[in-house]
Amino acid sequence: MPSATFAQLESLLSARKLDHTFSSHLPGFPGASNKQSLSPTGSAALDTLIGGLPGGQISEIVGPRSSGRQTVLVSWLAAATRRGELTALVDPLDMFDPSSAAARGVDLAQVLWVRGRALAPESVSLPHEMGELRVQIQRAVKALNLILQASASGGFGLVALDLGEVPVSVINCLPFTTWRRLHRVIDGSDTACVVVASDRLARSVGGITLTLERSNAEGAEGTEVAEDFIFKNSALKVMPHHVRLLPELKIEGRAIHARGMRTDRVVLSAACCLLPAVD
Amino acid sequence: MFAALYLPPLPGRAADARAQLMVVAQEFSPRVERLHDDLLTLDVSGLERWFENLRALGEALRATAADRGLAAHIAVAATRTAAVLCARGRAGLTVALPGQEAAWLASLPLNVLTVWTVGSRPLAVGSLHAAHPPTLCRASARPAVAFGEGGCPPPTAPIATFRRWGLKTLGDLASLPSVELSERLGQAGIVWQRLAHGEDLQPLVPALPDEYYEESLELDWPIDQLEPLSFVLGRLLETLCARLEHADRGVAILHVRLDLVGCQRFARALQLPAPMRDARTLRTLALLDLESNPPPAAIDRVTVAADVVEGRVLQFSLLQRALPAERLSTLLARLSALMGSDRVGAPTLVDTYRPGAFAMAPFRAATSASSALKKLPVVRRFRQPIPARVDVHQGRPLRVTSNRRHLRGGYVEVCAGPWRSSGDWWVTDTRPRKSALGSWDRDEWEVTLRDGATYVVSQVRHRGGWFIDGILD
Repeated sequence: MPSATFAQLESLLSARKLDHTFSSHLPGFPGASNKQSLSPTGSAALDTLIGGLPGGQISEIVGPRSSGRQTVLVSWLAAATRRGELTALVDPLDMFDPSSAAARGVDLAQVLWVRGRALAPESVSLPHEMGELRVQIQRAVKALNLILQASASGGFGLVALDLGEVPVSVINCLPFTTWRRLHRVIDGSDTACVVVASDRLARSVGGITLTLERSNAEGAEGTEVAEDFIFKNSALKVMPHHVRLLPELKIEGRAIHARGMRTDRVVLSAACCLLPAVD
Repeated sequence: MFAALYLPPLPGRAADARAQLMVVAQEFSPRVERLHDDLLTLDVSGLERWFENLRALGEALRATAADRGLAAHIAVAATRTAAVLCARGRAGLTVALPGQEAAWLASLPLNVLTVWTVGSRPLAVGSLHAAHPPTLCRASARPAVAFGEGGCPPPTAPIATFRRWGLKTLGDLASLPSVELSERLGQAGIVWQRLAHGEDLQPLVPALPDEYYEESLELDWPIDQLEPLSFVLGRLLETLCARLEHADRGVAILHVRLDLVGCQRFARALQLPAPMRDARTLRTLALLDLESNPPPAAIDRVTVAADVVEGRVLQFSLLQRALPAERLSTLLARLSALMGSDRVGAPTLVDTYRPGAFAMAPFRAATSASSALKKLPVVRRFRQPIPARVDVHQGRPLRVTSNRRHLRGGYVEVCAGPWRSSGDWWVTDTRPRKSALGSWDRDEWEVTLRDGATYVVSQVRHRGGWFIDGILD
């Protein structure tokens, strides 16, 4: 096609805003328009890999229990509050621990915490528990919608929804258009939305999915192996009492962009999720 | 030009004479200063165009006061001081044309200077550049305070000293040589001499009217739904906010008073996080509050009132888009209505070693001092710990199970601990408090089960029960 005709075609597409594809929105992708704002996550390994958390998109952190999801989320909150941004956390099961978040550098005064009702500790019937959970999740999604609407033209830098301990069967009761509607609220803004879950469900086209996997603790120096507690060919490892478990675990994850574009596996040890001390 | 109105103490004077005197003054000028309960000065500059001359203005003042039954002394002069001294020292109407103040004041007795030391407003020290200027105090309401100095009692006019010198009138004082006067009385003497000349030492400071912002509407028929109430509130708040806009005021507290069927009254007060005067935002906040706290009966009359403060001066940034206070207030109100007022806010740490202790504070989008970073695990904490069954061998947990769905547990692969903590054993107050959960004495373990999940489990020492407190994630 002659170059003049090609240029004319491009300008026509641009005038009608048809010059974007799914790929052109991806951060770091060849030919990306770079119009998206990227916020540093606080982890050098992750920022090198994906450039940062994309604004105006819904990203997600998925993985099994104790894979480091909450640690990664808290490190992103800490990075955002250190930049002076307001953050919001919708916590439908009321499981956020402010003391461990503050120890990780989160400025709690800049966190709007929306708490649901914790489930009763005693066992209840399945229909009752599922019914309660559904109500909690619906309220949480409404609260998230309100916060994203208020933030659409400026306000919160990072808004998170923690569905890490919510059964997938309850989340699947939400209408399938939920995440698309939420994305449209913040599309074009600088607000980044993050959903923490056990499985992939909410990422928007320009967002990222960070999948985390549990890796075995290699054991700290001086670990005792109690030989006399062998159960079914496994051994009970006892850590020295001054050692805490999670910092010794490695958080391994993989960032996924749209349409199956996967990055290499990246190791984010829990220690590296700490931000550098302020000089 | 200034005018002064003075009510001499007379027997049989009406109880509201002082209020009537203020009304008379305000009929002629909005700039009225109350020097004393019985003595007012008003700025009449420009009023000469409405009257033939200054005497006609004075006559009008006297006639207006007489219509209200007040036998006031009236004085009109080019300076405020001259007007006050003439009104104080001469009965009837005194009109001192510009340049004639000294002549009018010369014959006044010295004791008229006491008007500045009994129940009147302080002089401004700065205008005198004096070390010990005479200060004017409120005699009745508050203890005397030297303006600009820290609590020294004001000196009275040295009238006894002047009389010993043989002075009798203000003219005698004004004619004294200034240098010799200052050598004997210091700068205070110079100030009194300037007053005797009729010079103004400070400008007139008008008394501001009480600000009163309230709008009310009586309904033709009672309403018991929020939707029609929103129209009524919107109309009242539009009018109120227009007045606030004129006066550059913002609403700090919004009062909504509803007169209900059955002569009941229902009142709500909304404390706003920042002064605002946007009618739409105020209406939304009021409706959200009434939705959470509905009135018990239908509404006959709606009244909105505002406690106001000065308007905010905001400096926006070109680099950062901030969340406006109005939008933040609306968001917080909506979230509180949805989740509960105690479920929305900013988390704060409390001064205790109790694991998981926190408090909720109103979210104000402020920054706080960051603490040193620690290498501690991040916990998903169960607000109500889950009872667990733990098999223990030689003091170490071997297997952890619970009845909770999705938390069945299993055999322990790795464990760390115990960490022992206790506290609040000294608290003897049995009343329930917000964060009071009683004393605690526990051993805490971190265990990784075979399914790979890592939990925080604790054993209550004196009771022996085990609980799952949280998940390390």
